[in-house]
Amino acid sequence: MNVPAASLSDLVVERVGFGIFVLDREMNVLMWNRFMQDHSGLSAEQVVGKSIFTSCPELPRVWLTRKLESVFQLGSFAFSSWEQRPYLFKFDHDRPITGGVDYMQQDCTFMPLTRDREVVAVCVTISDVTHVSIVQREREEAVAKLQEYADRDGLTGIANRRYFEARLRDEYARWQRYGGDMSVLLFDLDHFKKINDQFGHVVGDTVLREMAQRVAQVVRVQDTFGRFGGEEFALLLPCTTLDEAMLVAEKIRHTIGDTPVDVQSVRVPVTASVGGAAARVGVPNYDVLINEADAALYSAKRQGRNRSVAFI
Amino acid sequence: MSEPALNEDQRDALQEVANLAMGQAATRLAQLLDSFIELSVPRVQVVAASDAAQALRDMTGIQESVSAVRQSFRSDIKGEALVICRSGGIEQLCSLVNDPYPSSTYEKVSQQELIFDVANVLTGACVSCILDQLGRTPVFSPPGLLGEAMSLDDVFQPGALAWQAALLVEVNFALEDESFRAHLVMLMPEESIRHMNHALDALLTSL
Repeated sequence: MNVPAASLSDLVVERVGFGIFVLDREMNVLMWNRFMQDHSGLSAEQVVGKSIFTSCPELPRVWLTRKLESVFQLGSFAFSSWEQRPYLFKFDHDRPITGGVDYMQQDCTFMPLTRDREVVAVCVTISDVTHVSIVQREREEAVAKLQEYADRDGLTGIANRRYFEARLRDEYARWQRYGGDMSVLLFDLDHFKKINDQFGHVVGDTVLREMAQRVAQVVRVQDTFGRFGGEEFALLLPCTTLDEAMLVAEKIRHTIGDTPVDVQSVRVPVTASVGGAAARVGVPNYDVLINEADAALYSAKRQGRNRSVAFI
Repeated sequence: MSEPALNEDQRDALQEVANLAMGQAATRLAQLLDSFIELSVPRVQVVAASDAAQALRDMTGIQESVSAVRQSFRSDIKGEALVICRSGGIEQLCSLVNDPYPSSTYEKVSQQELIFDVANVLTGACVSCILDQLGRTPVFSPPGLLGEAMSLDDVFQPGALAWQAALLVEVNFALEDESFRAHLVMLMPEESIRHMNHALDALLTSL
């Protein structure tokens, strides 16, 4: 067996599993391998000797010309990644069912072919990275889901305290910078310990879930509703004055108290006390705002529960 | 300075090589970018990779967060090249570089693609020219983003570094009215530093 290495190289280029083609400075195709032929449906005979834009008019002309020119001028490599530019050629990929992407995702490398330090042509390679892009998208979705779980309270499914405080911090910073209004409500289910003691924790948990659900249905999309701990909940109301917030407080109080919760064939009457406070000049940080709402809540409890009180 | 260091002659030769290379790179970049980039005389230093963050901080005065793009190059002298600049600096450069192409807005280029393009052009021109002076034609890998707002210490995590030595090449890129500073760092394994020493010796004896 005595096959010249040069002809072996030709065979390799012909059969290799990625696209290889060569362009001169006028964008004429000098070489076009089998991968390019199979995926474009254009044979080497049809393409070689003509401008690539004649054969593939859908290519991004300005971008590709500029890319090529940089390789000719600098004599160094250029690259294009699927993450920024999903594909150069509209090629089909081999995962039509499981893919979920429109075209073959491609990484491209632009290599200078030099003779005596002069770039004579540019070789472009196209790698099919469709599977990489799919794996990455699945991972991103999984991370997003984990993030979502990290922000939720396990029992009620509403925002947890960590997420609520993060939103409050952002919203407070926005208010400090741009002004306007923002309010916070804290509310607490009255005598919840008695419900737990009398009916058991399963009933207690169901009451918490049911109340969280009811309130979640009446808050606006731009509000953040979170479980602050135990039977205490918090509601962040952007662009809301204290008066408006107290209307919301009453609405919540009725949502909770007007209908008892039916659980395990017992009827559990539940009421709530609500405290509200609004950001205003002189409140140095969001902790103080929470403390003020808490003080109002305490005052509502002391006045006999099942009522809303604003911090003044 | 810790091992592996260059002797004085090699250091001078490397400085000379870098000077010539930057001259070449500046010419090529000027052609490509419509002659509004000027490269300064580079400052060259070889340090242990673990000292790289401190050395770079001393060289550049950077205390704030940086953006870093990495890329590897390969010949018998191989390693990784990092383009580092203050966070936001690359975007600033990108906006200027992108300027000649407002007509092609229908062929949209994302910010990140531009960052990679600019970093790749800087690395490609500088590293190619340096290695070209040493008679090497390197092959490059695609650029990757290390981070857009990281501290210099995070760029050079001692535990994560596979390379022992860093060749620091500080290059200033001066733009028309604004001064933009980017820093090119070449990280190389000991083996490659040795190859480079030989190449520098060969260059010296050929003079």
